[in-house]
Amino acid sequence: MVEAMEFAELSDRHNVSGVPQTTINDGAGTVIGAYPEDALMQEIQTALRG
Amino acid sequence: MTNKLLREDIVKQVKDVFDSQLINPVEILFFGSKEDCEHCEDTRQLVEEVSAISDKLHMSNYDLQDHAELARQYHVSMVPGLVIAGKEADRIIDYGIRYAGIPSGYEFSSLIQALVLVSGRDSGLTVETRAALAELKKPVHLQVFVTPT
Repeated sequence: MVEAMEFAELSDRHNVSGVPQTTINDGAGTVIGAYPEDALMQEIQTALRG
Repeated sequence: MTNKLLREDIVKQVKDVFDSQLINPVEILFFGSKEDCEHCEDTRQLVEEVSAISDKLHMSNYDLQDHAELARQYHVSMVPGLVIAGKEADRIIDYGIRYAGIPSGYEFSSLIQALVLVSGRDSGLTVETRAALAELKKPVHLQVFVTPT
Protein backbone atom coordinates (compact mmCIF):
# COMPACT_ATOMS: atom_id res chain seq x y z
CA MET A 1 0.00 0.00 0.00
CA VAL A 2 1.22 3.45 -0.87
CA GLU A 3 -0.68 6.47 0.39
CA ALA A 4 -0.79 8.60 -2.75
CA MET A 5 -1.00 12.02 -1.14
CA GLU A 6 2.06 11.57 1.06
CA PHE A 7 4.06 10.16 -1.83
CA ALA A 8 2.89 12.53 -4.54
CA GLU A 9 6.04 12.28 -6.63
CA LEU A 10 5.88 8.51 -6.82
CA SER A 11 2.16 8.68 -7.57
CA ASP A 12 2.74 11.19 -10.37
CA ARG A 13 5.49 9.01 -11.81
CA HIS A 14 2.96 6.23 -12.09
CA ASN A 15 0.21 8.54 -13.37
CA VAL A 16 -2.06 7.74 -10.47
CA SER A 17 -5.40 9.45 -10.99
CA GLY A 18 -8.07 7.06 -9.72
CA VAL A 19 -7.52 4.93 -6.66
CA PRO A 20 -7.01 2.18 -5.93
CA GLN A 21 -4.38 1.79 -8.58
CA THR A 22 -2.22 -1.31 -8.57
CA THR A 23 1.09 -0.86 -10.34
CA ILE A 24 2.93 -4.04 -11.30
CA ASN A 25 6.74 -4.03 -11.43
CA ASP A 26 7.15 -0.28 -11.57
CA GLY A 27 4.73 0.23 -14.45
CA ALA A 28 5.02 -2.98 -16.47
CA GLY A 29 1.33 -3.29 -15.77
CA THR A 30 -1.37 -1.14 -14.21
CA VAL A 31 -4.74 -2.05 -12.81
CA ILE A 32 -7.29 0.54 -11.77
CA GLY A 33 -10.00 -0.28 -9.28
CA ALA A 34 -10.62 -3.41 -7.30
CA TYR A 35 -9.90 -6.47 -9.44
CA PRO A 36 -11.02 -10.00 -8.70
CA GLU A 37 -8.22 -12.38 -7.85
CA ASP A 38 -8.04 -14.27 -11.14
CA ALA A 39 -8.13 -11.08 -13.21
CA LEU A 40 -5.29 -9.58 -11.17
CA MET A 41 -3.28 -12.77 -11.61
CA GLN A 42 -3.77 -12.53 -15.38
CA GLU A 43 -2.60 -8.92 -15.37
CA ILE A 44 0.50 -9.97 -13.45
CA GLN A 45 1.25 -12.70 -15.96
CA THR A 46 0.75 -10.25 -18.86
CA ALA A 47 3.00 -7.68 -17.22
CA LEU A 48 5.77 -10.22 -16.76
CA ARG A 49 5.56 -11.31 -20.40
CA GLY A 50 5.84 -7.74 -21.72
CA MET B 1 0.12 12.63 27.55
CA THR B 2 -1.16 12.86 23.99
CA ASN B 3 -4.77 12.10 23.23
CA LYS B 4 -5.63 8.64 21.93
CA LEU B 5 -6.04 8.50 18.16
CA LEU B 6 -8.50 5.60 18.25
CA ARG B 7 -11.96 6.19 19.66
CA GLU B 8 -13.07 3.73 22.31
CA ASP B 9 -15.83 2.26 20.18
CA ILE B 10 -13.32 1.56 17.39
CA VAL B 11 -10.94 -0.08 19.86
CA LYS B 12 -13.81 -2.29 21.03
CA GLN B 13 -14.72 -3.30 17.47
CA VAL B 14 -11.10 -4.04 16.61
CA LYS B 15 -10.69 -6.00 19.85
CA ASP B 16 -13.68 -8.16 18.93
CA VAL B 17 -12.12 -8.88 15.53
CA PHE B 18 -8.72 -9.66 17.03
CA ASP B 19 -10.09 -11.84 19.84
CA SER B 20 -12.04 -13.97 17.39
CA GLN B 21 -9.68 -13.97 14.39
CA LEU B 22 -6.04 -13.56 15.42
CA ILE B 23 -4.30 -16.91 15.59
CA ASN B 24 -0.50 -16.64 15.47
CA PRO B 25 1.65 -13.72 16.62
CA VAL B 26 2.30 -10.81 14.28
CA GLU B 27 5.21 -8.37 14.29
CA ILE B 28 4.72 -4.85 13.02
CA LEU B 29 8.04 -3.20 12.22
CA PHE B 30 7.49 0.54 12.17
CA PHE B 31 10.02 2.71 10.35
CA GLY B 32 9.95 6.46 10.92
CA SER B 33 12.30 9.31 10.40
CA LYS B 34 13.13 12.43 12.37
CA GLU B 35 13.46 14.33 9.14
CA ASP B 36 10.79 15.17 6.61
CA CYS B 37 8.00 12.91 7.80
CA GLU B 38 4.78 14.72 8.50
CA HIS B 39 2.79 11.63 9.46
CA CYS B 40 5.44 9.61 11.29
CA GLU B 41 4.37 10.50 14.83
CA ASP B 42 0.68 9.89 14.19
CA THR B 43 1.37 6.63 12.40
CA ARG B 44 3.61 5.42 15.19
CA GLN B 45 0.99 6.25 17.78
CA LEU B 46 -1.77 4.64 15.70
CA VAL B 47 0.20 1.43 15.30
CA GLU B 48 1.06 1.41 19.02
CA GLU B 49 -2.61 1.76 19.91
CA VAL B 50 -3.58 -1.05 17.52
CA SER B 51 -0.82 -3.36 18.81
CA ALA B 52 -1.92 -2.75 22.37
CA ILE B 53 -5.33 -4.22 21.60
CA SER B 54 -4.00 -7.79 21.39
CA ASP B 55 -1.18 -9.79 23.01
CA LYS B 56 -0.62 -11.47 19.67
CA LEU B 57 0.59 -8.21 18.15
CA HIS B 58 3.99 -6.75 18.78
CA MET B 59 5.35 -3.52 17.42
CA SER B 60 8.98 -2.62 17.05
CA ASN B 61 10.05 0.93 16.43
CA TYR B 62 12.84 1.80 14.00
CA ASP B 63 14.33 4.89 12.42
CA LEU B 64 15.19 4.96 8.73
CA GLN B 65 18.53 6.63 9.39
CA ASP B 66 19.50 5.01 12.71
CA HIS B 67 18.49 1.56 11.46
CA ALA B 68 19.49 1.95 7.84
CA GLU B 69 20.75 -1.61 7.48
CA LEU B 70 17.51 -3.09 8.78
CA ALA B 71 15.53 -0.77 6.50
CA ARG B 72 17.60 -2.00 3.56
CA GLN B 73 17.05 -5.61 4.59
CA TYR B 74 13.29 -5.07 4.56
CA HIS B 75 13.39 -2.86 1.44
CA VAL B 76 11.86 0.05 3.33
CA SER B 77 12.69 3.47 1.98
CA MET B 78 9.46 5.43 2.38
CA VAL B 79 8.33 6.65 5.78
CA PRO B 80 6.19 6.16 7.69
CA GLY B 81 6.70 2.54 6.65
CA LEU B 82 5.23 -0.64 8.10
CA VAL B 83 6.31 -4.23 7.66
CA ILE B 84 3.55 -6.65 8.64
CA ALA B 85 5.23 -9.96 9.36
CA GLY B 86 4.70 -13.25 11.14
CA LYS B 87 6.43 -13.60 14.46
CA GLU B 88 7.64 -16.99 15.59
CA ALA B 89 9.70 -17.68 18.71
CA ASP B 90 12.97 -17.57 16.86
CA ARG B 91 12.31 -15.67 13.67
CA ILE B 92 10.29 -13.19 11.62
CA ILE B 93 8.36 -14.49 8.60
CA ASP B 94 8.37 -11.82 5.90
CA TYR B 95 5.37 -12.09 3.57
CA GLY B 96 6.41 -9.00 1.63
CA ILE B 97 3.59 -6.89 3.01
CA ARG B 98 4.48 -3.19 3.28
CA TYR B 99 2.54 -0.03 4.05
CA ALA B 100 3.92 3.37 3.04
CA GLY B 101 2.04 6.27 4.58
CA ILE B 102 -0.45 6.59 7.37
CA PRO B 103 -3.12 3.84 7.30
CA SER B 104 -6.06 6.08 8.08
CA GLY B 105 -9.63 6.27 6.82
CA TYR B 106 -10.49 3.26 4.68
CA GLU B 107 -6.92 2.03 4.95
CA PHE B 108 -7.34 1.48 8.66
CA SER B 109 -9.59 -1.51 8.06
CA SER B 110 -7.19 -2.77 5.42
CA LEU B 111 -4.46 -2.68 8.07
CA ILE B 112 -6.63 -4.67 10.47
CA GLN B 113 -7.31 -7.20 7.70
CA ALA B 114 -3.60 -7.46 6.92
CA LEU B 115 -2.86 -8.23 10.57
CA VAL B 116 -5.52 -10.96 10.60
CA LEU B 117 -4.23 -12.38 7.30
CA VAL B 118 -0.64 -12.61 8.51
CA SER B 119 -1.82 -14.02 11.81
CA GLY B 120 -3.52 -16.85 9.90
CA ARG B 121 -0.26 -17.54 8.04
CA ASP B 122 -2.25 -18.21 4.86
CA SER B 123 -2.93 -16.07 1.83
CA GLY B 124 -6.50 -17.28 1.45
CA LEU B 125 -5.97 -17.43 -2.31
CA THR B 126 -7.55 -20.03 -4.59
CA VAL B 127 -5.74 -23.19 -5.65
CA GLU B 128 -5.52 -21.79 -9.19
CA THR B 129 -3.92 -18.53 -8.07
CA ARG B 130 -1.43 -20.39 -5.87
CA ALA B 131 -0.46 -22.59 -8.81
CA ALA B 132 -0.03 -19.56 -11.07
CA LEU B 133 2.09 -17.80 -8.44
CA ALA B 134 4.26 -20.89 -8.00
CA GLU B 135 5.02 -20.73 -11.75
CA LEU B 136 6.32 -17.16 -11.64
CA LYS B 137 9.83 -16.91 -13.02
CA LYS B 138 10.51 -13.30 -12.00
CA PRO B 139 9.87 -11.28 -8.86
CA VAL B 140 6.67 -9.27 -8.78
CA HIS B 141 6.35 -5.95 -6.99
CA LEU B 142 2.79 -4.79 -6.48
CA GLN B 143 2.19 -1.23 -5.36
CA VAL B 144 -1.38 -0.33 -4.50
CA PHE B 145 -1.89 3.42 -4.48
CA VAL B 146 -4.68 4.54 -2.18
CA THR B 147 -6.09 7.61 -0.50
CA PRO B 148 -7.72 7.66 2.94
CA THR B 149 -11.13 8.75 1.67
